[in-house]
Amino acid sequence: MHLVPNLLAALNFSTLPEQLVNGLLLGAIYALIALGYTMVYGVLRLINFAHGEVYMLGAYVALFASYHLGFGPNSTATSSSLANLLIMLFASMSICALIGVIIERFAYRPMRGQSRIASLITAIGVSLLLQYGGALFLPNSPPPSISENVNPYRGSFVVPLSSPPPSLAIAVKQLGPEAETKNKALQDYLASHPNESEFSLSPAAQPLKDQAQDAQRKLDDAKRELANSGVNITIRNGDVIIFFTSMVLMIVLTYLVRYTKRGRAMRAVSHDFDSAALMGINVNSIITFTFVLGSALAGAGAMMQATFKGTTITTFFGLLPGVKAFVAAVLGGIGNIPGAVLGGLLMGLAETIMVWMGYSRYADAIAFVILILVLLLRPGGLLGSDKVEKV
Amino acid sequence: MIISSNKSTFKLAAAAAVLFAMIGCDTGKAPDNKPDTTTPASTSPTAPAASTASRKSSTGEGNKYTSGKILIGLVASENGDLRPWGVDCEAGAKLAVAEFNKAGGVGGKEVELRIEDSASKPEQGKSAAEKLIGDGVLAVIGEVASGITAQMGQSCFEKGIPDVAVGATKTTLTDIGNTQFRVCYTDAFQGPVMANFAFKELGLKNVALMTDKKQPYSTGLSESFKATFEKLGGKIVDEQFYETGQTDFKAQLTNLKAKSPDGIFASGYFPEVGPMARQVKEAGLTVKMLGGDGWDSSEILNTGGEAIIGQFFCNHYNNHEDRPAVKTFLDKWKAAYPNNPVPATTMGALGYDATSVVLDALKRSKSLDSKALRDAIEDTDNFAGVSGAITLKGNGGNPPKRAIVVKLTKGGQVFAKAYEPNEVVK
Repeated sequence: MHLVPNLLAALNFSTLPEQLVNGLLLGAIYALIALGYTMVYGVLRLINFAHGEVYMLGAYVALFASYHLGFGPNSTATSSSLANLLIMLFASMSICALIGVIIERFAYRPMRGQSRIASLITAIGVSLLLQYGGALFLPNSPPPSISENVNPYRGSFVVPLSSPPPSLAIAVKQLGPEAETKNKALQDYLASHPNESEFSLSPAAQPLKDQAQDAQRKLDDAKRELANSGVNITIRNGDVIIFFTSMVLMIVLTYLVRYTKRGRAMRAVSHDFDSAALMGINVNSIITFTFVLGSALAGAGAMMQATFKGTTITTFFGLLPGVKAFVAAVLGGIGNIPGAVLGGLLMGLAETIMVWMGYSRYADAIAFVILILVLLLRPGGLLGSDKVEKV
Repeated sequence: MIISSNKSTFKLAAAAAVLFAMIGCDTGKAPDNKPDTTTPASTSPTAPAASTASRKSSTGEGNKYTSGKILIGLVASENGDLRPWGVDCEAGAKLAVAEFNKAGGVGGKEVELRIEDSASKPEQGKSAAEKLIGDGVLAVIGEVASGITAQMGQSCFEKGIPDVAVGATKTTLTDIGNTQFRVCYTDAFQGPVMANFAFKELGLKNVALMTDKKQPYSTGLSESFKATFEKLGGKIVDEQFYETGQTDFKAQLTNLKAKSPDGIFASGYFPEVGPMARQVKEAGLTVKMLGGDGWDSSEILNTGGEAIIGQFFCNHYNNHEDRPAVKTFLDKWKAAYPNNPVPATTMGALGYDATSVVLDALKRSKSLDSKALRDAIEDTDNFAGVSGAITLKGNGGNPPKRAIVVKLTKGGQVFAKAYEPNEVVK
């Protein structure tokens, strides 16, 4: 019974607000990818396993676009602008849309009259083909990444929720000059003794270094105490951009699906494929449209992930996010668009809460635990319909 | 029946999806784009150098020299994820052989280096080694990664052929038997080196660990760092885990920040450490970052951006080190490969050293066969390698090697401090 207080003692409630924000920001990307799974499932009843690979290709498109904009591996360009980011975003979205359409046309459409399991296996095949086949053509050793210089919005900002006692700020100010003098003394010594370096000092100079380090440590400790004494939320600029771009794209998607003619046709196809065809809806063009939307969202997600988080890109780039987004889609109710967004955000929160509770070792397992629980307790998902569909 | 759907089919599909994803994860993570450990490394931070316990003796016949040139085999990753390291290793080995033949070979006979590609894969490395043994090589050199070497080493042991690994740091690797040697240090040495450097040179007192739970290399390294750092009097304030392929470390870093560390030891590989460094800076943590030789790639400067500049890691060798042996080696390299004037990775020097150790043993070998050559390699005493002195005598295949701490700068890796094996508190 002593387990419960132990668990509680490990929790640090001052970091909880920041972790909740972290979770939501992380979930936005999952939601974006989950939408692609859910839309294709809604229309075709097909789990498009190649969706993660479309996402991976989107990251490569963004990488090549950044090379083209002058941020190649050996470039020295340091200033960038919003326009560059928009070009990369547009390139990723449009080329991913094209790739999605090609996959649908040449892999899924010929299988449409066959049994569902055949389509599913085709999807797995396409996924493997892109992962391993792509490795033959795409640079992946050592894995490249998009230069951070292409992003003009680096850094982060702090939202203070409660302010620290003023005495701490004064302490930091008082300790500053001493650290500076001691460091300068060490630097002066090094400058006048070219045979010695910071890590090979003569014994006589060792105290100089110790003093400099001690003074610096006192200053740094005071700074950390200042930073940790109040409750505040540090948010990365990149995450804010990812979150708002995702929200805008989801709003656009909702508009397209709910208020346009094509959107209505898409909903009709999703509701009843054969009847929709009988009513004069061009089913093939609607399916293409679905793949365009889903793949473009994946492309946007990949571009933002690779640009703002500095992730290295290999042909397995889409594997982990693909799996998590799939779970998010199932959690929200696969086939249901608001469900995918909700599922994505909940997944992000669940993972972050696991880390917050001190179980970072198991943070990724939570996705599968959730999947199993959803399938056991509510197979239709949170927002999905639970009624047995007609066969 | 395209639109027909029922729950059981869907469940089946979902189950298949998860299964597939998990299988996918394993194959996806396996690509060992890293020079050192690809498959299980030791997690026990035991000192390798001290043990002189006798290893299993090979009962294999081995190969004998018959006529013509003396054959020595090299297994290198000419293709696949390890290509950058494999290419350098091969160039280093060729350089050593050319030099040896130019100096007259052994007893008027020249050495021929037979090279086979492992394509960065353990299975293929094994068949490459077996092909070389079938060709009649007296000894095999390779590989740069522990996973491949473990497979090759097993075949060599069965056939009685000595194998000298180039950059395989997995501590238990040499337990295969008395035919297995290496010219690099082990993972049980890097952790203590970085702990000494962090505590004594950087004056860090409260360090947090970031461990890649999917890589035995990383968990083992974190453990050996922690043991030494605490012994020296430092405090490990927290350990957070992530997994290979993870892109966002914010949640872990938020936890770390609340513990106020003055340093972070990131024991994983560079594809994750680079982005992590960027995110550490953005999370508002003012800390020094340290790591092991998993950081050794020029790509880390790009993935880590400005945040990785000024951070330190442990390496085998450095082009900028101010030692005559390094200067001579670089001059030879430049003369031999004008298009590629400096080795891009440490495996150039280690490949050269592994080959030189075999060739040196060939001169001392009592007769031209695998058995005598193995004995001669085992007798290697204080051989002057480019990456430091190599002593295999009485060390059970694991030479106590010097390790180098390097600092990352905009221009690449800069030498900071070298540690001789006896200078490190373990």
